[in-house]
Amino acid sequence: MLSRREFLGLVFKGAVLGNFINLVAPPIHQALAQGEVKKIPVLMIETGTCTGDSISLDNIWPPTFGNILTNLLDWRYDWTMMQSQGSQAYQVLLDTYTKNPYDYILIVQGTIVHRDEGNYNHVGLEDGRLVTGLELVRRLGLKAKYVVAIGSCATFGGPPAGYPNPTQSTGVQKILPERRVINVSGCPAHPDWTMGTLFHLALYGEPELDKFGRPKMFYGETIHNNCERRRYYDQGIFATDIGQKECLYRVGCKGPVTYADCPIRAWNDHINWPVGCNSPCIGCTEPGYPDIMEPFTAHLPDIPFPGGTKITTNNIGFGVLGVTSAAITGHMAASLYKGRLHKNLIKSTAKAKHRPSVMKAKEFHTYRLKHRK
Amino acid sequence: MDKNKVTPTQPLVVRIFHWGFALSMVMIVLTGFELHSPFTFLAFNYGNVFVVHMTFAWLALGFVSLRIVDAFIRKDTSFIPKLSDFRGFVGVLAYYLFLRDSLPPGEKYNSGQKFIFFSWFIVFAVATLLGIATYFMGEYLVWVWRLVGGWQIVRTVKFLAAVYFSATILVHIYLSFTEDLSRLQAMITGYERQEP
Repeated sequence: MLSRREFLGLVFKGAVLGNFINLVAPPIHQALAQGEVKKIPVLMIETGTCTGDSISLDNIWPPTFGNILTNLLDWRYDWTMMQSQGSQAYQVLLDTYTKNPYDYILIVQGTIVHRDEGNYNHVGLEDGRLVTGLELVRRLGLKAKYVVAIGSCATFGGPPAGYPNPTQSTGVQKILPERRVINVSGCPAHPDWTMGTLFHLALYGEPELDKFGRPKMFYGETIHNNCERRRYYDQGIFATDIGQKECLYRVGCKGPVTYADCPIRAWNDHINWPVGCNSPCIGCTEPGYPDIMEPFTAHLPDIPFPGGTKITTNNIGFGVLGVTSAAITGHMAASLYKGRLHKNLIKSTAKAKHRPSVMKAKEFHTYRLKHRK
Repeated sequence: MDKNKVTPTQPLVVRIFHWGFALSMVMIVLTGFELHSPFTFLAFNYGNVFVVHMTFAWLALGFVSLRIVDAFIRKDTSFIPKLSDFRGFVGVLAYYLFLRDSLPPGEKYNSGQKFIFFSWFIVFAVATLLGIATYFMGEYLVWVWRLVGGWQIVRTVKFLAAVYFSATILVHIYLSFTEDLSRLQAMITGYERQEP
């Protein structure tokens, strides 16, 4: 079987060559055939989601996602991918929960809706009762061997948790504080990130995680550090509009604050990635996305004020400096008018061994030194 | 009191700190703004701008450390606001708003100065912590990263700190030149003419 070091080598090699799954699938097949590892049951729960992560997973090639579902992992429940439906499908979920406790991987895709006890998001029907995503994820999560949240929504709340967050949505970790949730963030998560994490869990257990619970093998470096346009940044050559071929930093690229290996791994079968097609990174793998990354075309986020108004940080900066300059100009004009400037200057510059007193002369706004006897 | 005597008000260490810190802060803020939003008319090598930014940041930290050590050695608390300064600040504000003719009697620094100088230490400490955390980018001081909530928040806070420094430095320079030039002289020579 592959050693962990060899596996991590393939993670990087697969990123460069664009065939990660193709590289790791044969040794995993071999290990499964020789009984060195067993297929771990996988349950995929979709809560408040657009199903984007499933679509992303479906883009795996080669081998196909279907091949992985049946031959490499024991993918048991996934309402987008499974053929059975209704109570028959749901029974598979319940059976795994009752018969394989602490042995299955729970994958959660989608945000966890909290408002009104989660009743804006129903994910199943049990004994005629609608089951909320909040309830099911917590129940299954407590008995799972590993809990993996995929996509921005499941990891940190994502777009549904954006201001003003009407559904009071959060990521999975918030409702499972007892468990360490492995966050495979991204909008959507790259199929290699999801599959790589699952393979690591199946073969070697929990991967090394960063402080936000993301596997370091995929989120260990900022996009900026590996960006193909880094040389433009270093030389100070910037695009002034989206669509240009230089560094997109000035038009809001969040590469410097975003951890992911997109520049190396690329997307859609290693064909391209956002910066490669002249569009700035929007920081979708980071907590706080999208609020703190918006506007996507500006460097810093807008700052919300009471009443729903948002002001750009640049405007706040210009505003503060403008008010300060206006205040200084106004104060100087008033000092001239009141004669304070004259008074202060005479007092502090007159030739004398000690600081002299000044008195107001008869002329308007002028001062002269007070004569001492 | 000897009328011919000039009074030493700013020791050498304070003057070294002042001008060193002033130069460092100006460079940090200017390069910081360039890093934040590069000017199209300045074709700087961005890597060099970053090196200048970091170099002056370390220098500023050195000057501040020097001043703090000096304050401990000389037991100098002249720049730390006291409770009475909150009351005194009203009088200072009234003076700057032309509601009274002279500043209320005070110590070496008036309450307005104390509040601004002390706030600079605090804001500088926060910005330095965030700056060092950014420098190591998740390698060390990850608790800062986590506490603040990500790099995007870190750089917003640093930007706001830069705006605060810029605004208050402008006020400081304006008042230095228009209020009492002998005080400005003291920051160069160390001596100030005595009040009559």
